[in-house]
Amino acid sequence: MSLKDIISPFNVWKRAAQKPWTIKDPLNDRPGADNYRGFHKNDFDKCVGCGTCEDICQNAAIDLVPVQTVETDMSDSGLRPKIDYGRCCWCALCVDVCPTGSLTMSNDYTWVTDDPEEYRFIPGADKMKWDDCEKGYKRAENFQLIDFDRIKMNELGVEERSSSFIEMVKGYSKEQAIEEAERCLECGICVARCPAHMDIPEYIKAIREDDIELAVQILYKTNPFSASCGRICTHHCEDVCSLAHNGEPIAIRWLKRYILDQVSPEEISKILKDIIQTNNKKIAIIGAGPGGLSAAYYLRLLGYEIEIFESNEKGGGMLRYGIPEYRLPYDQLDKDIDYIVSLGVKINYNTKISEEAKFNEIYNSHDALFISPGLWNSIPVNITGEELPNVISGIDLLNKVTNKEEIDLGSKVAVIGGGNSAMDAARTAKRLGADVEIYYRRRIEDMPADVEEIEEAQDENVKFFPQTTPLEIKKDGSGLKFIWGNNKMIYEEGKRPKPVLIKGETFETNLDTFIIAIGQNADLSFLPTEIRDNIETKWGKVVVNELGQTSVEKVFSGGDASNSKADAVSAIADGHKAAVGIDRYLNK
Amino acid sequence: MEQILNRLKQKIEIKSVINKRADLYFITIKKEHIELVLSHLKQQENFTHLAFLQAVDYIEDDKFQLTYMLYNYDIKVNLGIKVFIDRDKSEMTSIHKLWPHAWQYQRELKELFGIDFPGSPRVDESFVLEGWEEIPPMRRDFDTLAYSVKTFYQRPGRTTNDPKRYMKEKLYKNFAKSPESGRNDE
Repeated sequence: MSLKDIISPFNVWKRAAQKPWTIKDPLNDRPGADNYRGFHKNDFDKCVGCGTCEDICQNAAIDLVPVQTVETDMSDSGLRPKIDYGRCCWCALCVDVCPTGSLTMSNDYTWVTDDPEEYRFIPGADKMKWDDCEKGYKRAENFQLIDFDRIKMNELGVEERSSSFIEMVKGYSKEQAIEEAERCLECGICVARCPAHMDIPEYIKAIREDDIELAVQILYKTNPFSASCGRICTHHCEDVCSLAHNGEPIAIRWLKRYILDQVSPEEISKILKDIIQTNNKKIAIIGAGPGGLSAAYYLRLLGYEIEIFESNEKGGGMLRYGIPEYRLPYDQLDKDIDYIVSLGVKINYNTKISEEAKFNEIYNSHDALFISPGLWNSIPVNITGEELPNVISGIDLLNKVTNKEEIDLGSKVAVIGGGNSAMDAARTAKRLGADVEIYYRRRIEDMPADVEEIEEAQDENVKFFPQTTPLEIKKDGSGLKFIWGNNKMIYEEGKRPKPVLIKGETFETNLDTFIIAIGQNADLSFLPTEIRDNIETKWGKVVVNELGQTSVEKVFSGGDASNSKADAVSAIADGHKAAVGIDRYLNK
Repeated sequence: MEQILNRLKQKIEIKSVINKRADLYFITIKKEHIELVLSHLKQQENFTHLAFLQAVDYIEDDKFQLTYMLYNYDIKVNLGIKVFIDRDKSEMTSIHKLWPHAWQYQRELKELFGIDFPGSPRVDESFVLEGWEEIPPMRRDFDTLAYSVKTFYQRPGRTTNDPKRYMKEKLYKNFAKSPESGRNDE
């Protein structure tokens, strides 16, 4: 027997005085590891109910269900994931894929109840003991299953584009489009947000599967202006894209454009195979803008005979006369219009309805009317000097450029306004060779114009003077003297910041041309007094019901003259809605 | 560690060396060299412990990657030996003669990935999946969702909603809805 054999039993005894490694109360004292995949948590403020967790779940453990505390709105389905813990295997794919990052896991893993139904629960809605638990599995920063980066669009360089009217966005190639389309999660939240409710996930899916014919058919179901919308749409669909919460939204607008870029006008007819069965009822449409022409398209499909009255020499309305060529080339607009016309829609160009008799004749000889006259009256700033010769409106400038009229703006131009029309006017003036400054009452972030348009204008070296108020315009030799002041912003809880002129801070700028682009309103003077008195208007807009019908039974309306959004896709939606509305009205 | 790798390089070609941490290295070698490398590392370099053997399915490249994780108690270093084998003829040399307990890892890989190790004891006995009739479940072409839908019943009373359709119902169900027109309705 060695010495070691004698001593070692005593060595073991010394452990009796040490702290034990075992846990006394394992149910209460044994937390999961910091990154443990325990029970789910869902942050309802972040979750938009896109259902990607449900799609990825390999055990079919997740359902999307309505919850009382969340309202459905344009950016949130109002649905939330309900997890069946009888099926869940805590693989955490739902957490890894969650595009908003709302779904996480706690490190809690003990839950005892005698009612098995309780194990189906809605994290975030049902109060759980682990709701405030900070630890647990979260998607690591550098790990993602979703591609959050958009495929870059090729554009003309700043130098090249600031001096020409060539289209600046070049469009996606097939490979780029398919790659971008592959990012789509197909949640469909964008569909509600689109005023025309286009079936966005379906046409993106068709791109992914390289089925352009199907894609064209899907587009025309809700929008006959996709070549145009694919370029200039205000694309609010992208604002609510579930990828936008943590990355770049799907380039829905560019993908729409890609579809129409792949087909020639002749191919559109072949793909759609629209057959018209005339029903001998006649509809008159006033204004051949996107609203009027969309109504014409859907009414024509329903068999109506359509006659459109248009005061301009060509169709397209604001798309042609209000949007510069570098954003929407005329041949692309023509592609959209020509297809509609090819179905047998009659358009009387250069026909302004200016006499009561003419309107009454149209009114009496048609079964229903759709009026979409657009907004052509520029709203004045109401300052002294506005009547001077070198003061023009943004819409006049864009109109003249479209009509290829001779324009001399001089070398220095100021534009008043912060909407897309102001950006379009400023960037057009820049392309005509002038130095351009934009004056706006509020801050740049308050501008109603699209962020892209603002950034592109800045890139093109248009100077911005936010928080300024125009005070007076004076004649100064052959040019103008523009007097303006600075504003301070007054913040009030829950309200848009209000600009207030700072007294004593006034400045003078010498200009050649002063362009007003603070807004436009409808000119309804073509309506006979008797009808105009009966048509309800609110804030200068024609009021319509769910079918697009005005308070004069036979008259329907849409487009910028009746909706407050005043963008192309809303006009298109109005046209579609009114077409169906007219059909219901005449068949009731 | 550098010397260990240099000595190994004199024997065989090492395709890549990744130094993850001071105590964690990965090397990639050809699959023919596995016995040579492992026995050299075990006997000459004192990597006496085989901690695990596992596989990854690189279905896009038509390969499985095997990782043999070794440990050296003297210098306290982990060394992962990686090899790629064909996914179609998924077969690999058995190493149970070097480490007897490897038979268990190899049996697991046979069941979960379908990788065969001829000569390995009890390699065809089921490991955790008694009565499994599908393709090995860790192969990435195994459709887990389809399997779970087919195999496990849903609890009664489950309903779900599609966000697109639900939002239409809630927000704009009457938009351009006409009883007359087939085209405008869904």
